[in-house]
Amino acid sequence: MIMSTKRAFLVAAAAALLTMPTMAAAPGTIKARQDNFKAMGRSMKMIGDELKKDAPAFAVIRREAAALEKAGARIGKYFPKGSGPEAGVKTEALPAIWQKPADFRAATANLNHATKGLRTAAAGTDASKVRTAVGATFGTCKACHEKFRLDD
Amino acid sequence: MRNSAWMTENSGMIRLWDWPVRLVHWSMAALIPLMWWTAEEGELERHRQLGLALLFLVLFRLAWGFMGSETARFSSFVRGPRAIADYLAGRSAAPLGHNPLGALSVVALLALVVGQLALGMVAQDEYGMVTGPLNFLVTAEVGEAATEIHEALFNGIIALVALHVAAILYYQFVKRDNLIGPMLSGRKAVNASVAEPRRAGFGALIGALVIAGALTSWIAWGVPPLGG
Repeated sequence: MIMSTKRAFLVAAAAALLTMPTMAAAPGTIKARQDNFKAMGRSMKMIGDELKKDAPAFAVIRREAAALEKAGARIGKYFPKGSGPEAGVKTEALPAIWQKPADFRAATANLNHATKGLRTAAAGTDASKVRTAVGATFGTCKACHEKFRLDD
Repeated sequence: MRNSAWMTENSGMIRLWDWPVRLVHWSMAALIPLMWWTAEEGELERHRQLGLALLFLVLFRLAWGFMGSETARFSSFVRGPRAIADYLAGRSAAPLGHNPLGALSVVALLALVVGQLALGMVAQDEYGMVTGPLNFLVTAEVGEAATEIHEALFNGIIALVALHVAAILYYQFVKRDNLIGPMLSGRKAVNASVAEPRRAGFGALIGALVIAGALTSWIAWGVPPLGG
């Protein structure tokens, strides 16, 4: 696109204004997304704990599967521009998230697909189906972290 | 097996450390760095398996400390502060096996490894997916806290291992007392005709193996029926 200098300046100014609140909000956003991921880990553990028992409590599995699906659906909004390493707070989010947004969206979609499958499996009372669905979900977590999260 | 007096008196070589003590010792020396490495690389499934192997070894060593050969028994080497002071001041001769100060090191290392294993049993990865065999009995908050302490406590193990190695080197090069050789061969040259320490029999070995094996399996299976 060809723009006049004046127009380019206005666009730049508008962009700066738009990103400013984002930049200021970044630490809060980063905290919220870390809490969200942490909650997902806890839901995974609670499901795993039930699967280790002779008589798993499917009510717990269903509750946590639903929580997991909801938390997974929120991931997209937790990565606004400026909430990466440049935000100046401790984050393991890699710049690749913003450099390859389509890949990142696809990785998130994989998770959302897997948690939907988990919710479906949890609706029944077949622990082995839940186990398979948990395994698939776990796989999407790790696959995304491998590409988009700092390996500390 | 009882001691063979002729050998002691003729050759001046005695069997100091039995093979279970040596095998446990060198297995721990190999396993602890491996456990660090697997944790570092995020190979937590392997870390967990090695941890159970280490648990078995340590439980065996604890049992052996009560029913094993003379130099393996805690009652033969754990001494109070008085005995440690006497040894340090040169008022008492060094005993055949662990000296009173070295005994502290043995007990401290074993205690720290036991603590580390206990924490590992309830530890968890960040996904709550690869977990210690008893993690399902605690909440995520407890599991996360245990995991953090588990990571921090490893520094304590490094410090004690470093001290242990430094002491061995000090004995080797300053005091001219080779401690590494006997821990490898089990045999130690003695000046006078010293009676060989009593060695545990086959029954004690089976007993210690059964105790350690049963406890390790019970924990690995999630302490049934307590786990529900």
